[in-house]
Amino acid sequence: MNDVFVQTCWLVPIYSLIGSVLTLPWSLGLVRRTGPRPAAYLNLLMTLFACLHGSIALSRIWNHPSQQLVFDWLQAADLTISLSVDISPVSVGALELVAGISFLAQLYALGYMEKDWSLARFYGLMGFFEAALSGLAISDSLFLSYALLEVLTLSTYLLVGFWYAQPLVVTAARDAFLTKRVGDIILLMGIVALSAYGAGLSFSELQSWVETSPLPSGTATWLGLALIAGPLGKCAQFPLNLWLDEAMEGPNPAGIMRNSIVVSAGAYVLIKLQPVFILSPIAEDALIIVGTITAIGASLMAVAQIDIKRTLSHSTSAYLGLVFVAVGLGHVDIAFLLLFSHAIAKSLLFMSIGSIIYNITNQNVTEMGGLWSRMPATTTAFVVGSAGLVGVLPLGMFWTWTRWFNGNWAVSWWLLGLLMFVNALSALNLTRVFRLVFLGDPQPKTRRVPEVGWPMAVPMVTLTAMTLLGPWVPQKWPYWLSATAPLGNAELPIVRYSIALIVASGLLGCIVGFRLVLRRAWARPLKVWLRFFQDLFAYDFYIEKAYNLTIVWAVASISKLMAWLDRYVVDGAVNLVGLVTVFSGQALRYNVTGRGQFYVLTIAIATGLLALWSFFGLN
Amino acid sequence: MTNFPWLTTIILFPIAAALLIPLLFRNDSSGKKVRWYALTVAVIDFCIAAYAFYEGYDFSNPDLQLVERYTWVSELNLQWSVGADGLSMPLILLTCFITTLAILAAWPVTFKPQLFYFLMLAMYGGQIAVFAVQDMLLFFLAWELELVPVYMILAIWGGKKRHYAATKFILYTALSSLFILLAGLTMAFYGDTVTFDMSEITAKHFPLNLQLLLYAGFLIAYGVKLPIFPLHTWLPDAHGEATAPAHMLLAGILLKMGGYALIRMNVDMLPDAHIRFAPLLVILGVVNIVYAALTSFAQRNLKRKIAYSSISHMGFVLIGIASFTDLGISGAVMQMISHGLIGASLFFLVGCTYDRTHTLLLDEMGGVGQKMKKVFAMWTTCSLASLALPGMSGFVAEVMVFVGFSNSNAYNPTFKVLVVFLAAVGVILTPIYLLSMLREILYGPENKKLVEHEELVDAEPREVFIIACLLVPIIGIGFYPKMVTQMYDATTLRVTSRLQTQLALMKAENVAEVPPFEVKKAPAIAALK
Repeated sequence: MNDVFVQTCWLVPIYSLIGSVLTLPWSLGLVRRTGPRPAAYLNLLMTLFACLHGSIALSRIWNHPSQQLVFDWLQAADLTISLSVDISPVSVGALELVAGISFLAQLYALGYMEKDWSLARFYGLMGFFEAALSGLAISDSLFLSYALLEVLTLSTYLLVGFWYAQPLVVTAARDAFLTKRVGDIILLMGIVALSAYGAGLSFSELQSWVETSPLPSGTATWLGLALIAGPLGKCAQFPLNLWLDEAMEGPNPAGIMRNSIVVSAGAYVLIKLQPVFILSPIAEDALIIVGTITAIGASLMAVAQIDIKRTLSHSTSAYLGLVFVAVGLGHVDIAFLLLFSHAIAKSLLFMSIGSIIYNITNQNVTEMGGLWSRMPATTTAFVVGSAGLVGVLPLGMFWTWTRWFNGNWAVSWWLLGLLMFVNALSALNLTRVFRLVFLGDPQPKTRRVPEVGWPMAVPMVTLTAMTLLGPWVPQKWPYWLSATAPLGNAELPIVRYSIALIVASGLLGCIVGFRLVLRRAWARPLKVWLRFFQDLFAYDFYIEKAYNLTIVWAVASISKLMAWLDRYVVDGAVNLVGLVTVFSGQALRYNVTGRGQFYVLTIAIATGLLALWSFFGLN
Repeated sequence: MTNFPWLTTIILFPIAAALLIPLLFRNDSSGKKVRWYALTVAVIDFCIAAYAFYEGYDFSNPDLQLVERYTWVSELNLQWSVGADGLSMPLILLTCFITTLAILAAWPVTFKPQLFYFLMLAMYGGQIAVFAVQDMLLFFLAWELELVPVYMILAIWGGKKRHYAATKFILYTALSSLFILLAGLTMAFYGDTVTFDMSEITAKHFPLNLQLLLYAGFLIAYGVKLPIFPLHTWLPDAHGEATAPAHMLLAGILLKMGGYALIRMNVDMLPDAHIRFAPLLVILGVVNIVYAALTSFAQRNLKRKIAYSSISHMGFVLIGIASFTDLGISGAVMQMISHGLIGASLFFLVGCTYDRTHTLLLDEMGGVGQKMKKVFAMWTTCSLASLALPGMSGFVAEVMVFVGFSNSNAYNPTFKVLVVFLAAVGVILTPIYLLSMLREILYGPENKKLVEHEELVDAEPREVFIIACLLVPIIGIGFYPKMVTQMYDATTLRVTSRLQTQLALMKAENVAEVPPFEVKKAPAIAALK
C-alpha cells in the first residue's frame, strides 16, 4: 500500500497540533484587533483537514492489512526506543471518530463558548487535546501511547482548569491530574518491566512476544496489574473514578470529548494491551472485578445525582466498566463496539445537556422542567442519545449487546445479570433526568428558554443523525471491528433469552423511572434507610472522604514528619557540629595564656602520644 | 583553526574580561553599562564555545578532544591540561548557556553592580574550568575557585539569613572538597609514576581496598555537591537565601559538577569499587527522590520547595550512574542537562514572582495568576517540565534511567522492582507538590492582602525571553533526544563497556577475598625528590 494518504496518516495528529499552535497569537494577546474568533476558525479548519485526510485514508486502507511506520526516537547501545505508527482499518477508523467528534465538539464550542474571553486559549487546548487523541489512535508503540496518555492527562488538567479563578475548578483540575498521573506512572513501570523482559514495546509485536514469553505467572500477574493501572485512571474506574465527576467543572465542549473519546482512549490502550493479560488469569480477573464494581457502583451513583452533568458522567464510568469486563473476558471486538456505540451516544447526550446549561446557566436538574416544547432539537437529541445508550430500541448499544451474546465464545449468566442491571439503572436514570428536565411544568428558570442557535444546533442534529445511523455500521461491516464472525449458536438458552431479557430490563428501568416520585425541592426522604442510600450514592459512596482520611492524610503527615526530620535531625546534626566547633574554640581560647612553659608542655604531651600511637599502631 | 586553544580561551576570556571591570566601569554606580558589558562578554563566550563545538568536536570519538597541554609547574609535574569528551562537552555548553541567561536574569541588580558582574564572569570561567580540566590538581583548584564567587554572591546579595547560609555553604563544600585533594594526591602518587593527568590516572590500576577508600572520599565530596542525602542540608539554606541569578547557577550548574565528577572519577577511575558501591548509590538515589519529594511537599517557603525538588531530581542521576547500562548512564547525563535547564527556569520564575509579591511564603500568595497571565503560563509550563511530562526533557531522562536500570544485569529482580517502585512513588509525589504549589500561588481568587500593597505587573519581555530560551531546548530534547544523546553516546558507551568488563571479571572470579591492602612507601615519592 503505497498510497500517499495512507503513508502520511501520521500527519493527522500534526494537523491538530498545528491548529493548536496557530491559536497562540490570539491566546497570548499578540493579536487583539480581530478578537479571538479567527483562532477558532483556524482550528476548525485544521480539524476539518484531519477529518478529510482520515476519511480518504480510511477508504484507501479499507480492505488492506495493517502496516507500520517506524521512527527511531532514542538509541543507546543496549536499547532502541522507537516510535511507530500502526495504520489499519481499526486505527484509522478510530482516528476518524476522534477527528469527527472533535470537529463537532469544536463547532459546538463556537456557540457554547461565544461569550468567553479566552476563546482562543480554549481552542488551542482543544487542538492539543485532539492531537493527543488522534495520535493515540494510530500509535503502535507503547512508549508513544504512554506519552500521549500523559499529554491527555495534561490537556485534561488545562481544560478542566480553564476557568482557573473558580475555587472548585482548582481542586478538580489538580485531582484529575494526580489521579490519572498515578495510573500513568504505574503503567510506565509496567512498560519498563515489559522492556526488561524483552518485549518489543510495540503493540503489534506483543502478541508474538506473549506466545513465546517465558514469564513466570507471579511476574505476569504484577505486570498485568501494572498495565491495567493506566487505563484504570484514564477510564475513571474504581478506585480512581472520582476525577471524572469533579472534571465536570470544566467547559462543556471539552466534557463532550472527555466523556466520549478521552475515556475511550484509555480503554483503547487497554484493548491493545490485552495479549499481555492472557498470561495472567489474575490480571484478567482483576479487570473483570474492577469493571463490575465500577459498572454497578457508578450506575447507582448516577441515580442519586442532581447536577445534570454528573448524572451522565457517572454513567460513563459504568459503561467503561463494561468495556473492562469485556477485555477481561478476552472479547476484544465487543470492547471496540462498546466504545464506539458509547462514544457516539454519550457525546450526543452531552451536547444536549450543554444546550440546556448554556441557555439557563444552571446545572441543577431539580430547578428545571418543561423544556420539551421550548427546545425540540435538544429534546430529540437527549432522547436519541438515551436510546443509543440503553438497550431497548434497536440502536447502538442494543446491537452491541446482541453481538456480545452471539459471538463465538461462551457467555455466562452473571454477565447477562450485570448487563441487565446496568441497563435497567441506566434507563431509570435517563428517564428520571428526562422527566425532571423536559417534562412537567416549567420552573422559574426554564420558563422563557429559546432553542440554541445554529452553531450548537447543527452539530447536535448531525450527531443525532449519526446516532440513528450508528447501528448500521456493525450490520454493514461486521468484520471492521471484530475479526471473528458471529456464531449463530442461537439454540443455547442464554443466547436465546438474552435479548429479550435485556430489553425487558431496559423497559423495567424506563417504567420505574416514569413511576418514580420525583422530588424537586431539596427536602430529603423521611425514611431513614432511603435517606441513607440517597446520601451514600449522592456522595459517591463517600470515596472522597475515605481518600481524604487515608491517603491524603498519610501523605500530608509523612511529608510533615520528613520536613521535621530534615530540619531538626539531619540539619540539626550539622548545626550541632558547627556549635561544637565554635564552643570548643571558645573553650580552648582560655589556654592561650602567653606562658611558654604551658605551650612546651602541650607540645611535649602531644608528641609523646603520637609517638606512642605510631609505635604501637604500626606493630 | 584546529590548533587554536579553544577551551583555554573559553575559560580565560570571561575571567580576563572580569578583571577589566574595575578599570572600565569605575563610575557606573547604577550598573546600566556594566550589565551590557557582562552580557556581551557572556554571549561572545557562548558563541566561541558553540563554534569550538561545531568545528572541533567529533561525536563519534569517545576520547578527549580539543586537548591542550602546557606545563605549568614543572617541578610538580602540574600541567595546564584541558580537554572535552562526551561528558564534558554538553556540560560546558550548558554552563555557557545558563550563565549567559543568569547574567540576563541579573538585570535588576543595582547594589554594587560592578562587583556582582565581576563575580558572575569569574564564575563563568571557573565553572567551565571544572568541566574542562584534565588534571587532578587543576581540577581541585578549579573546584575551590568557583566556590568563592558563589560564597560572595550569597553573602552580599542574599536574603535575610544570607550570612548563615553562605557560611554553611562554604564550610560544607570546602571541607568536603578536602577529600578530593586527599584522594587525588593518593591516586597521583600511587604506583610507579607520579602523574596528575586524569587519563593516566584512569589507566592506573589500584588495589580494591584502596579503591574503596578513595571511592568513599570522592563520594563524600561529590555527595555534598550533588547533593546526596544526608549531606544535602546546605542546599535548601543556600537556595533559600540566594537571588535568582545565583539560584540559576547553583541549580543549573553547580549541582551538575557533583554528578559529572562522580562519573568521571568514581565510575571511570575506580570501577571495582564502583561495583561494590553501586547498590549504595541506588539506595541513596531512591532515598533522595522520595525523601526530598516528601519534604518538599511540606515546605511553605517557595524557594525551599523548589530546592528540595532539585534534590529529588538528582536522585535519578545516582540511580542512572549505578545502573551499569549505557542507557542508564546516558540517562544520568541527560537528567543533569535536563535539570540544569528546568531547575534554572523554575528558580528564575521564583525570583520573578518574588520581585512582584515580595514574599516567598505560599500562605501569603494566591490568585496571582489573574493579573500575571504570562507568569502563570510560564510557571505552568516549567512545572510540567519538572514533573517529567512527555515531550519535555525531564521525561526522556527519567525514562532512560528507569529503562536502563531495569535492564541492568548487576542486580537481582526483586531489588530492581523495589527500586523502580519506590522511584515511581517519588515520581507520583512530584506532581503532588508542584501542582499544589501552582494552586497556591496562581489559582483561585486573588489574595486581598497581597493585592492591597503589591502591584502585580505581568512579565516583561526580558523575562519571557529567558524562559523561552530555556524552554526551546527542554522541548527540543523532549521531542528529539538524539539531539543531545549523540553528543555523549560514544563516551558513555566507553564508560559502560569498561564497567561491564570489570563486572564480568568480578562475576567470573567471584572474589570474596580481597587482596590485603599493602602499606608501603610509594616509590614515586622517592623518585620525586
